[in-house]
Amino acid sequence: MKRIIQLTVNGEQAEVAVTPNRTLLQVLREDLGLTGAKHGCGLGDCGACTVILDGKPVNSCLVLAVQANGSEVLTIEGLAENGKLHPLQQAFVEKGAIQCGFCSPGMILSAKALLDENPKPTEHEIRMAISGNLCRCTGYQKIVEAVQAAADSKALQGGDS
Amino acid sequence: MLLPRFEYHEPTTLEEALKLLSELGGNAKVLAGGTDLLVRMKQKIDRPAHVISVARIPGLNEIVPRNGHGISVGAAATAASLSRHELLWDRFTPLATAASRLGSPLVRNRATIGGNLVNARPAADMPPACMVLDATVKLKSRSNERDVPIGEFFRGPGETVMEPNELMVSINMQTPAPWTGGAYIKLASRKTLEISLVNVAALLTLQSPDGPIVDAKIALGAVAPMPVRAYAAEEVLIASQPSEALFQKAGQTGVGMCSPITDHRGTMEYRCMMIEVLTKRCLSMALESARSWKPLR
Repeated sequence: MKRIIQLTVNGEQAEVAVTPNRTLLQVLREDLGLTGAKHGCGLGDCGACTVILDGKPVNSCLVLAVQANGSEVLTIEGLAENGKLHPLQQAFVEKGAIQCGFCSPGMILSAKALLDENPKPTEHEIRMAISGNLCRCTGYQKIVEAVQAAADSKALQGGDS
Repeated sequence: MLLPRFEYHEPTTLEEALKLLSELGGNAKVLAGGTDLLVRMKQKIDRPAHVISVARIPGLNEIVPRNGHGISVGAAATAASLSRHELLWDRFTPLATAASRLGSPLVRNRATIGGNLVNARPAADMPPACMVLDATVKLKSRSNERDVPIGEFFRGPGETVMEPNELMVSINMQTPAPWTGGAYIKLASRKTLEISLVNVAALLTLQSPDGPIVDAKIALGAVAPMPVRAYAAEEVLIASQPSEALFQKAGQTGVGMCSPITDHRGTMEYRCMMIEVLTKRCLSMALESARSWKPLR
């Protein structure tokens, strides 16, 4: 039996009919066309499916869509405003933190969740915050530098994120 | 990976949830964070016909201090919320630490203490911490309620004393005595997203900051089919003045209480060596914490 769920995705209301066994990841990708969140392992071990659910970064592959009824979801597609990249996205591009790009949406969202809570993180805090997101390409160094650069950037110090 | 089909229930009160469990019992699984259950369902290890979510039950995820005498942790409280709780860090340190080492930051935002206990994996993070803190778990069914000491809760890998119609609602602990300190160490190949090779929780109570040990609790995980209290190691410590040599002796004694296996994470021999080393280290950390005990504001 399908249920109608209502959720706010990237600031917009969405209404979807889902069977209970569909995950939030599946609904975002297949029903809403938001393919930024990726299916990596499907088991909560890689973080490629990371989205921000009610302010907290989670593995969307382990959230049932029905559990997200009434919730707010932020995906990577919701970061840029009016075509302008978020400082984190900009920093990832400038620092070379993106190689194949598969981990990047999840990585950036975990970083955003960190900076929302802790605007001046240490390197250790950055590495801990992204420790649920695996990257097979970069060795994480450029990613950490990008998060640091975004934290330092004037755009974020202004208080808007 | 696809989930098999199931009937989904989302009770909005505890009574409704318990009624569902009494009716569906053995054909239902409780869904809290989903970081264990949904993984098992995707792997086709569990195929419940019914899934009962506890996410909408009010109060189940709250952490409620009890007037300086103790704390009641809702079974649906997430590992993240435990790892950020000031009172838990201060007075129930092993539990806050264990919660902070579970899974990854993403997993911790969903995983619950109730799930970690009910799933009863031998290497789980929270059971040893709950054991040294003498926690009791409150189990409710439609017609009954009981409090089970955590030391009597586990039966074997994946097995507990819970009946199919029961729900864990809270984990309750009394505030430890003054000059008590605790610690938790998790040994794993990675710093995150890993299952323990060996984990150890310890709680020490001193007579005074420079005085002897009057109470000691040590619990180990991943070294037996269930988490174990190392009673013999604890006895070594009681009434003695803390020292490195004493902790060394306790560590050596602790090995005798364990029966680790060899698996892809490590050999039995290595685990035994680590039980000794980590017990000693955990006791040193607990001692430091006990010595810096301060009354709350």
